[in-house]
Amino acid sequence: MDTYFQLFIRETKVAIKRWTDALTGIILFFLIALLFPLISDSDKDFLLKIVGPIMMFSAFFSSLLSMQNMYKPDFQNGTIEQLLLSKRSFVGLILTKTFAYWVFTSLPLILISGLIASIYFVTGKAILIIQLTLLLSTLTMINISAFTSAITLGIRYPGALMTLIITPITLPILIFGSKAIENSILGLDISGPLYFLTGMMMLSLFLGPWITASALKISMD
Amino acid sequence: MSLKAIYKYGSPPNFYRFAMKLEPWCFSLGVFLIVIGTIGGLFIAPKDYQMGDAYRIIYFHVPSAYLSMSAYAAMGFASTIGIVWRSTVAFSVAKSIAPFGALITALALITGMLWGKPMWGTAWVWDARLTSEFILLLLYLGYITLHASIKEQKRADRAASLVAILGIINLPIIHYSVVWWNTLHQASTISKIDAPSIVGEMLWPLLVMIIGYSLFFSAVICRGGSAEVLMREKRSKWVKEI
Repeated sequence: MDTYFQLFIRETKVAIKRWTDALTGIILFFLIALLFPLISDSDKDFLLKIVGPIMMFSAFFSSLLSMQNMYKPDFQNGTIEQLLLSKRSFVGLILTKTFAYWVFTSLPLILISGLIASIYFVTGKAILIIQLTLLLSTLTMINISAFTSAITLGIRYPGALMTLIITPITLPILIFGSKAIENSILGLDISGPLYFLTGMMMLSLFLGPWITASALKISMD
Repeated sequence: MSLKAIYKYGSPPNFYRFAMKLEPWCFSLGVFLIVIGTIGGLFIAPKDYQMGDAYRIIYFHVPSAYLSMSAYAAMGFASTIGIVWRSTVAFSVAKSIAPFGALITALALITGMLWGKPMWGTAWVWDARLTSEFILLLLYLGYITLHASIKEQKRADRAASLVAILGIINLPIIHYSVVWWNTLHQASTISKIDAPSIVGEMLWPLLVMIIGYSLFFSAVICRGGSAEVLMREKRSKWVKEI
């Protein structure tokens, strides 16, 4: 437990030092969400209709932007190699690292999503549902991003390739996330999409670190 | 038994000989069946009472769609074997499947569009099956580009295989999520082949075409896979003897 906690502390320090990464994600999230009403239509009904897709879309994009730096600096300065040499389970360490990354890049998005939701005229319980949906889906997305950035470590300009790999895998999350938000605004039953998202989150928390660890080992060879 | 087979054909020279022996059979039989199926489909099978002659593209559309998915399954299977046993042959086979799989997926999409234009009035609808076919194309392209962009052969093999395996896990999830999304979204406005359970005269060319396509595809993989094996083993003794 001690090693994991120390790794978390270390990740916190790194995140504070590289605060622009987290900020870039937040700014992007904010800008995409603000831009849509400006360039399309600021009608209330219309905005309520598109708030679900917009939320998922901007969360997806900000994770795409911030994930490029997920493992690259640590890979270049040898931290990953040290983690691999540690006697603790590599998978567990990866899980800790991914979770720390989630705390600093995705948790702020969830916190400010309430604000954005109120810009889109969402009121009451639906705001909480939006935050819950984002919580479940970003936890899944961060694991997918971790895998993708681990597998593309050896490539110099992985941007487009990452998008190509990540989009098909993330698609179900985006569909069900926006479905959950849409249903909660319309006052329909939301348990179905939320169960699905929870299931995907469990699956990705279980499989994700494991696949990411093997991807890192491949990149390390 | 099956493990023994993996060890036997997992050895590059054995695989090469086997594939070279298999290839002409698959090729000639596949071409023969495709010709038969084309003649049967285009000239012998009766007109559809609703769709007229336009339905005949089914004889090219359905086999490609079917093959696009089974080819991905084969690629995932080969990748799994490659990851577990670190087998050169399995990696070569998976790599040689990818471009043809992408091609046949594109073919399925194009023939589907050509069919959709006269039947539905539009080339593309946001139907579940169309969307997941398109996602399948993206998965193939992801595999190909990842493999191409890692320079070192072994790392490229294993990294791309991981992506293929993840795709196999994810494909059913993607498919069903798109299906549910569609059904939740709206009642399907255009019913797809609302099959008035296809009659025998129309069915047999279709089956012949499917088998022909599969055999032809196997021939292509045999050839591509053995070429890939030769490339990788070019320094070994048995290749120099050939």
